[in-house]
Amino acid sequence: MQIPCGNDNQKADGLGVRATDDKITNDETMRAEYERRMVGICRDFEGDGDGLVAIAVRTALVDELVGRLWAAEMDADSSLAKGIVVVAVGGYGRGHLFPYSDIDLLFCAEKGEAEAAKDAIRRVSQALWDCGMRVSPGTRKLAECERFSAENAEFGLSLLDRRLVAGDVTVFSKLEEKVRGKLMVRDAKAIRTELAALTRERHAKYGDTLFHLEPNVKDCPGGLRDANVCGWLRLLQVSPDAEGEEFEEAVAFLASTRCFLHYRHERDDNALDWRAQDAAAEQGIGLVGRRKPGGVDAAYWMRVYFRHARVVERCLLHEFEANGLAPAPVGLRRIKLAGSSGFRLKDGHLMLDAAGESDPAAEPEIVLALFAAMAATGARLAAESEQRIANAVPRLSANLEEGPGLWRALCEILCGERAGAALRAMHALGLLELILPEFHGIDALVIRDAYHRYTVDEHTFVVIDTLHGLETDAGPDAPEWRVKFRSMLRELQSPGLLYLAALLHDTGKGRVGGDHALESVGLAKSVLARLEMDAYDSALVLRLIAIHLEMSAALRRDIFDADTVRGFAGRVQTHELLRMLTLFTYADIQAVHPDALTPWKAENLWRLSMNTATQLDRNVDEERVHARGKDERIVRVLELLRGREAEAERFVEGFPERYLKTRPPEAIVQHFEMTTRFEAEPFQISFQYGAAMSEITLVTVDRPRLFSGMAAALAAWGMNVVTADAYANQAGVVVDSFRFTDTFRTLELNVSERERFVESVRDLLAGRASVEKMLSGRRRGKRKTPRVSVVTKIDFDETASSHSTLLQVVAQDVPGLLRAMSVTLSALGHNVEVALVDTEGETAIDVFYLTHGGQKLDGDQENELLRELLEAIEENAR
Amino acid sequence: MQKIEAVIQPSKLDAVKDALVELGILGITIFEVRGHGRQKGHTEFYRGREYAVDLLPKIKLELFVTDETAEKAIQAIITAARTGRIGDGKIFVSKIDEAIRIRNDERGEIAL
Repeated sequence: MQIPCGNDNQKADGLGVRATDDKITNDETMRAEYERRMVGICRDFEGDGDGLVAIAVRTALVDELVGRLWAAEMDADSSLAKGIVVVAVGGYGRGHLFPYSDIDLLFCAEKGEAEAAKDAIRRVSQALWDCGMRVSPGTRKLAECERFSAENAEFGLSLLDRRLVAGDVTVFSKLEEKVRGKLMVRDAKAIRTELAALTRERHAKYGDTLFHLEPNVKDCPGGLRDANVCGWLRLLQVSPDAEGEEFEEAVAFLASTRCFLHYRHERDDNALDWRAQDAAAEQGIGLVGRRKPGGVDAAYWMRVYFRHARVVERCLLHEFEANGLAPAPVGLRRIKLAGSSGFRLKDGHLMLDAAGESDPAAEPEIVLALFAAMAATGARLAAESEQRIANAVPRLSANLEEGPGLWRALCEILCGERAGAALRAMHALGLLELILPEFHGIDALVIRDAYHRYTVDEHTFVVIDTLHGLETDAGPDAPEWRVKFRSMLRELQSPGLLYLAALLHDTGKGRVGGDHALESVGLAKSVLARLEMDAYDSALVLRLIAIHLEMSAALRRDIFDADTVRGFAGRVQTHELLRMLTLFTYADIQAVHPDALTPWKAENLWRLSMNTATQLDRNVDEERVHARGKDERIVRVLELLRGREAEAERFVEGFPERYLKTRPPEAIVQHFEMTTRFEAEPFQISFQYGAAMSEITLVTVDRPRLFSGMAAALAAWGMNVVTADAYANQAGVVVDSFRFTDTFRTLELNVSERERFVESVRDLLAGRASVEKMLSGRRRGKRKTPRVSVVTKIDFDETASSHSTLLQVVAQDVPGLLRAMSVTLSALGHNVEVALVDTEGETAIDVFYLTHGGQKLDGDQENELLRELLEAIEENAR
Repeated sequence: MQKIEAVIQPSKLDAVKDALVELGILGITIFEVRGHGRQKGHTEFYRGREYAVDLLPKIKLELFVTDETAEKAIQAIITAARTGRIGDGKIFVSKIDEAIRIRNDERGEIAL
């Protein structure tokens, strides 16, 4: 049976083509017709913006022209009417001929007919080329179409979208039998496997994310190629299910966008660059009611694009899972779930308990715990549970309690090794924005610079992935610098704070104008207030966000120059913040694009961090506050103490600048107020309990053994000091602060003990209680074997300060260490001018600025101190 | 034609680049390198831990210029990269026999 050719009228007015001697004239005529009708398709697209219609109409046009050309060949040679068929394959076969797409034509012969038809095939192809179409003709025998070969996967896949255009329909029927009966049955598994491999390879080229600043609407994850893959996988299933309305809408949007790009670029170029984004937004491409005057904002339009791309990506994942193609989650961890957790982990998937047993909207804590399990294990969310959570999100807010509980849940998610995947899933479901509405501004936000590769939200998740990657990608081939950063990550006291700061650091980019770091600080403040985080942790997170670009900026200066390092150290002020900022900078650079962090840059980052750490310890004693200088921080303190400026100035005068820079003005005011109550109680103590870390601050007039007394009192209560500092002003008022963990949970389990704890410290300082007596009753926990063995190292530096000697002790961090050292210092009559106590993982790094009789220590005193300290540290460690 | 290779402090890259652009020299190749000359390396301590700073980070520039421009380019690099301290870097100049633009086979200075 033959395919009807063009009608008689067309032939009569010269639009028909025959393989005769007037070929040139007729080809030109066909070209003119093709161009005229293509202009019509373009005009219609400009009018209604319907990409699916445009590609269908072009497909029909090409069908018609190919049909006519082949009919003309058959007219000229009747032997062509049998044994050969012209088949549209690939995108053309699907009926998806975008304006500049290639035309894949298969001339399928029953046996050897193709050889005899080769001149006709050449003429048809040539005529189409002459019309301006990019034709990819292929000639195959039927027998060659029944097997799938991974070496020529493209041909096998193109056959999945075959469609009769012209020629012998019986051959097409046989082709159908071959493809449906053999290729799609016998080789279905091989096709699926190859499809999965090709898809993974293509996604890897795009960093496995759809959130590109300039995405490719065909090849990027979530693009039209993924939609095709979904279609092919459904074709290969026995009982394929339709993808649903959301998927169809997404495909329609992407089709309109690709049409628009083809017309705009005048070629098969599917890159959605910034200018194209602006133009598409202006014309409302793909949007319902697109004729809105002036179009829409480009950022809004891109969000719509990403929303549709997400739908396609999700459908693809579901298809992969349904076909057993989804790769097993890498490094899936096992966790123990309580029977009543409300969800379960099965075959690498997390699923909520049955609908009758749990309602995610009523139990947000279960939903959050599920995402924490996802972050901890790397398991995926089961499709049915995902849908239930998506349905529950609008009602979830009514039952979501803010405060410390929410922070604990969020922290658990952030600290999971696969936090990035869990956060992306939460973000896609709208759950992340429900918890942190501040995140909304950067949802799929495109920031136009030539440096970044991903949208702001995706960049944020990549930062978090990169930080966790320090642990998870720690193979034996990991470069040396990555090993260094990993050990730094392990030294963090509260890694959750780093991840939280990373999550919020760019939220300010969602606000128009201004310094985005400061805008992010403003947004983070409201988040931290809702999470009711303690002042110290909040200050750390806010400070990190505020200065998150400063280390990158310092890297552009001479990192070996003392002024550069001093200036940078002045911005960082504490070792904990320096560690966090170093790690953040490492991840932030890496997350810009995969090649941004060269080994050279990583090494420089590490060196700047080390130089700064040294600077932080060495210059504290020299840099003192002078109230008359009216530093900005002093001005803020004085404003809070209006009417008492003179007393306030006397209070801050002579403190190391570190004191002023590491405390918020409110805390300094509190310390000042404590000095006004000396008459009633000379040992002023403030205590702040925290589940993770507590802080006690002593404000009093300097006298011997204060620091060692505090350290002893804390040791007696079984508290483990993590950081501490001690400063004195010119008038001899000292402010000693200790942050510590509660080893035996005494203060957590016995709220009434908190008051007794403070009184006990005060009694000890006032001499009303005996250190020895308290220590003798101390519970001593079973010492754990340290993971890392630290050799004690003691150094003196006489050059760091003009009037005191710097002592640095590096030792294994064990409870009672600070007490042992400070008691030794007191016993030898040395005065602690400044103390900076720090813990890095299992290493204690304590720096003291010492004087003896108002002078630096001499050589003999240093030798004696060295001996005594080594002995005391060894004794304490036993 | 001459080839100019300059090893400079990383912090001076922007200044050197700007100075060369001002002269109309737009083609520069930049390498992130490590090394030491007379500046040598040294040992530092980081919180009780010893580490060697033997190879220092530097930037190496490579540019090809006409004989006429060479001296101006050299002076521009010197002015922009000099701090007067050890470690400012060095400039190496060598003669180039031929330059060929692959696209159209243009040869000589026109291909630069």
